[in-house]
Amino acid sequence: MKKGYLGLWLILVLSLGIFFFISSLDSVNVFGVELKPSKMYSSLVCKSDSDSIIPPPQPKLFPQPVDTASQSILFIGDSMLEGLYPRLAAYADENGHELRVAMWYSSTSQIWGECDTLTHFINKVNPSYIFICLGANELFVKDIAEKRDKYVKNILKQIGDIPYLWIGPPNWKPDTGINKLIAKNTKKGCFFLSDGMTFDRAKDGAHPTRQSAIVWMDSIVRWMPDSCLHPIRMNLPKVKSSRAKRVYALQPKK
Amino acid sequence: MIIADILSNIGQLFLYDKSAPLIFSSGVFWLLFILFMPVYAAVKNRRWQMLLFVVAFSLYFYYKSSGIFFLLLIGTSLLDWSLSKVMVKLESKNARKLCVTISIIASLSILCYFKYANFFLSNLSVIVSHNFQPLDIILPVGISFYTFQSISYIVDVYKGRVAPTNTWLEYLFFLSFFPALVAGPIVRADYFLPQIKENHIPKRKEIYTGLWLIILGVIKKAIIADYIAQYNDLIFNSPGTYSGFETLMGVVGYTMQIYCDFSGYSDMAIGIALIMGFKLCANFDFPYKSKNLTEFWRRWHISLSSWLRDYVYIPLGGNRKGTLRTYINNFLTMLIGGLWHGANWKFVFWGAMHGAGLAVHKACRPFLDKLPSTFPVKAISWTITMTFVSMLWVFFRADSWTSSWQIISKIFTDFSISYFIPFVQVHTAWCIMMSVIIIAHALPRRFYDKMEKLFVNLRWWVKFLIFMIVVQLVIQFMSADVAPFIYFDF
Repeated sequence: MKKGYLGLWLILVLSLGIFFFISSLDSVNVFGVELKPSKMYSSLVCKSDSDSIIPPPQPKLFPQPVDTASQSILFIGDSMLEGLYPRLAAYADENGHELRVAMWYSSTSQIWGECDTLTHFINKVNPSYIFICLGANELFVKDIAEKRDKYVKNILKQIGDIPYLWIGPPNWKPDTGINKLIAKNTKKGCFFLSDGMTFDRAKDGAHPTRQSAIVWMDSIVRWMPDSCLHPIRMNLPKVKSSRAKRVYALQPKK
Repeated sequence: MIIADILSNIGQLFLYDKSAPLIFSSGVFWLLFILFMPVYAAVKNRRWQMLLFVVAFSLYFYYKSSGIFFLLLIGTSLLDWSLSKVMVKLESKNARKLCVTISIIASLSILCYFKYANFFLSNLSVIVSHNFQPLDIILPVGISFYTFQSISYIVDVYKGRVAPTNTWLEYLFFLSFFPALVAGPIVRADYFLPQIKENHIPKRKEIYTGLWLIILGVIKKAIIADYIAQYNDLIFNSPGTYSGFETLMGVVGYTMQIYCDFSGYSDMAIGIALIMGFKLCANFDFPYKSKNLTEFWRRWHISLSSWLRDYVYIPLGGNRKGTLRTYINNFLTMLIGGLWHGANWKFVFWGAMHGAGLAVHKACRPFLDKLPSTFPVKAISWTITMTFVSMLWVFFRADSWTSSWQIISKIFTDFSISYFIPFVQVHTAWCIMMSVIIIAHALPRRFYDKMEKLFVNLRWWVKFLIFMIVVQLVIQFMSADVAPFIYFDF
């Protein structure tokens, strides 16, 4: 090969080899900086999706029996709760549950997952059921599976064995993977996918209007008996909305 | 079992994957180029073998980007070349005209079908109040670029500006040349065909200048543009939810993003061609230094604007038919330029506004030429030009008219400078990236010429080290999915 080409070719080949080698290591630190590995090794060595095996037959999970006991419900999440919780409060009133709301404006799975605020509310309220509505502020985060996985896991770790239902964000545009990430981490029947529903939006183009949020909550309730892992008594209320027993409003994190 | 998995994965890597278009800054292209280079170096001296090999590689490259549509490229080239050969043998002017008309209609029909059929149907359904089912059409990548190349070739042969290539292989080489195939620069026959004949063997200096351009392009596209896009996407995906200051930053960010994205990709294309011993024309010349719109279009997407000038504006009459016709011709040319970017009214509007802006600038020229060339005058001219260009990028990027107006009205009705400090605190990395690209854009050309010379003369291991650092930076900043090149869809 011509000398000029050989030099360039060696640059390309050697660097590719080095990056391939680095990508096979767990972590590499250079002067205290952790080098992010490329996906070369994993994309070559990992089993390809096309080779999927047929999963073993699973026992039928749903529908689960409805828990008719009165519940102490904690509803946590972002500003989407503003629209949802008055309707959930109406359901709570109708069915003898108690609803407390912890609404953290502009919050994300990262914000809830990197602190113990949820544990604090769980200790304070001692809920028997938790609703979560998070993800709307991270619809367009790139690399979300890598960036937010640990935070979603930490939220679920804080919830522990308490029955829960995670309500997915009401997408106004296709997301970059938040719904997939939540679905992957939550137990089957503990995630309600809101993506694909049609909403009337408020002026900001993101939040559903009050009326649309009522329809949203009603849809979740209709979904619960057949598809939720922990369905609770949720008879249709006579009033459109009601007040929660307590609303804790947390300001956006600076 | 593991070996079987590896072989299966390697196999998948070389097959067409709709969700992973082949772009120069991807790992797959890196691997393919490593395989390409030794063979290319071996056959470079033997012209016909070189042509055959590059055409085969280019068609494979197009297959990796567009699947079966590489056959369309072969078909288009065969038709154009056959007609060009027939045309030069004809003596009757009308018969020659017929040949060129058939070729242009064929090329434009294919382009219109793939790119504009659904746009036409959706507008027709509105006009006749009928609900037409959209056609299930996939747009072949880069079709707009090679269609323009094929039109320019047949017109140039018709006008006698270039002689048709002796063989179909040479023409297919010109049309499918992979560095410029999917996103330009739009190669002109009179510039490129002589280079095929010459078959210049690149010197060491040219090979490393090519590498320098690739590195520069990777920094612009895969590090800066892809990173700053993350914030810009938030603003454009949720217009109205951010303050005026944040929205303005998103608009400024997109202005730099589209430049870095497109000029970065052009740099890579020019660099790869240079390594192969071919020169492609420059596509960008620091466009955001422009002090008026006419200058902007001389510096932005040069290969397209010069194509539009030579094959639309001048045939329409250019400036030869009076002042009013000049303005109208300018406007129509930009309208077509806008439509070229996509089958959407927003692109038509974007083009029309640029056309109107150019006409206004031309009309004001007698007055503007009298102004002194002082710093305040230059600063005001630059500010007006950049404001106009940036605001029009909003229409170019936003999903709908409503979103565009929401973004613009937010900037003008909800602006507060008090957001500046918190914004910098929260988006520090984004601000650093933006500062870097703004400063880099403001530097004079001679700075880049000096850097280029310096890089070429560096020792081999230093170049190797620089390349390694740049690739690691790409990995550090890389998004989960490589952001597709903005101009890929055009």
